[in-house]
Amino acid sequence: MTHDMAGPEPVTQPMHDKDAIFNELRATLAELFELDPARITLEARLSEDLEIDSIDAIDLMDRLRRQTGRKISIESFRSVRTIQDLVQAIHKLVNES
Amino acid sequence: MALVFEAQHAAVLADSREPSVAVTSDRTPPRPFRDLHYVRVISSVLSFLLFGVFGTILGILVVPLLLAFPGSRIARQARVRRMIRLAFRALVGFMNQTGCISYAFSGVTSLGRSGQLVIANHPSLIDIVLLIAFVPGAACVVKRAAWRNPSMVIAVHAAGYVANSPTESMIEKGSALLAAGECLIMFPEGTRTVPDRPAHFHRGAASVALRTAGVVTPVFIDVRPPHLSKAVPWYRVPVIRPHYSLSIGPDIDPGPYRERPAPVASRALNEFFKSSYASVVRTT
Repeated sequence: MTHDMAGPEPVTQPMHDKDAIFNELRATLAELFELDPARITLEARLSEDLEIDSIDAIDLMDRLRRQTGRKISIESFRSVRTIQDLVQAIHKLVNES
Repeated sequence: MALVFEAQHAAVLADSREPSVAVTSDRTPPRPFRDLHYVRVISSVLSFLLFGVFGTILGILVVPLLLAFPGSRIARQARVRRMIRLAFRALVGFMNQTGCISYAFSGVTSLGRSGQLVIANHPSLIDIVLLIAFVPGAACVVKRAAWRNPSMVIAVHAAGYVANSPTESMIEKGSALLAAGECLIMFPEGTRTVPDRPAHFHRGAASVALRTAGVVTPVFIDVRPPHLSKAVPWYRVPVIRPHYSLSIGPDIDPGPYRERPAPVASRALNEFFKSSYASVVRTT
């Protein structure tokens, strides 16, 4: 939990909470990639464990843009390797501005 | 001396030939010097020189002129694409007349439709030259390096061609072109393939197809012997004249794939692309 310095968190929106982000993300990934939700853990690596590649990342960005209503650039996800990283990146994005 | 003779000979021949609608080079009877290897070496070097010199001249002098005439952005782009098509047509004609290559392109009239994604395998450096020469009005996805090449940068920019990287912008721009009703040419293999090795299809083309293509039409390119491939430097000119056979496969409707989530659908569509090519073009 290293990204909690983004200031006071509005608690009204569920996507602002990391657990909520993880749950939402798990549902999204399971649907988009037709994955077993049990495989989607915080430690799972996107490319090695879940076979999510750069083209998938683009489809995922499209989906996250719609879900969060934020303009998400793929640049923000360059260093993402695991689901944990992805949750943190989304958490950081939705708590910015 | 031979160099000058070849160039003049080709010029005279080009002038005396009637404009032709057929897109096969097989109509011209073979001339005796045609399959001399040294002639092909000279004409290959000349073809590269022509590409570089005329590319630069057209870019610096003709493109600004075409852009200066009034018209919408689309109309200006169309003018530049037409110029590139005619220039490539001339280059292909030169290569054919001087014995550098021969070619046969069947079914070409089904290319260039609105919202059509044309995909092709990529055995040779000049695949795109042949495709652009014969597909009217098409845009294409070109490698990033074209924007750094002085003889190409002005034309590819003015024609509204799409760079192949970064992937996200390629997919967005490519699908925007198709959504606007243009025809787009892509090589799913991304880069030239090494002869006799199984090809790897990237999912970029499938992803673009799923987003906005009305129809996907595969073009199968077969070059024998291998020519301007990745495995051999360009100056290693084959002893036998390379023949390019281009043929068209049946239209693929991306519609049914759209019922599934994008990542699953693009994998399935890409597998379908691969299997269509595996049955037609040598891949192993």
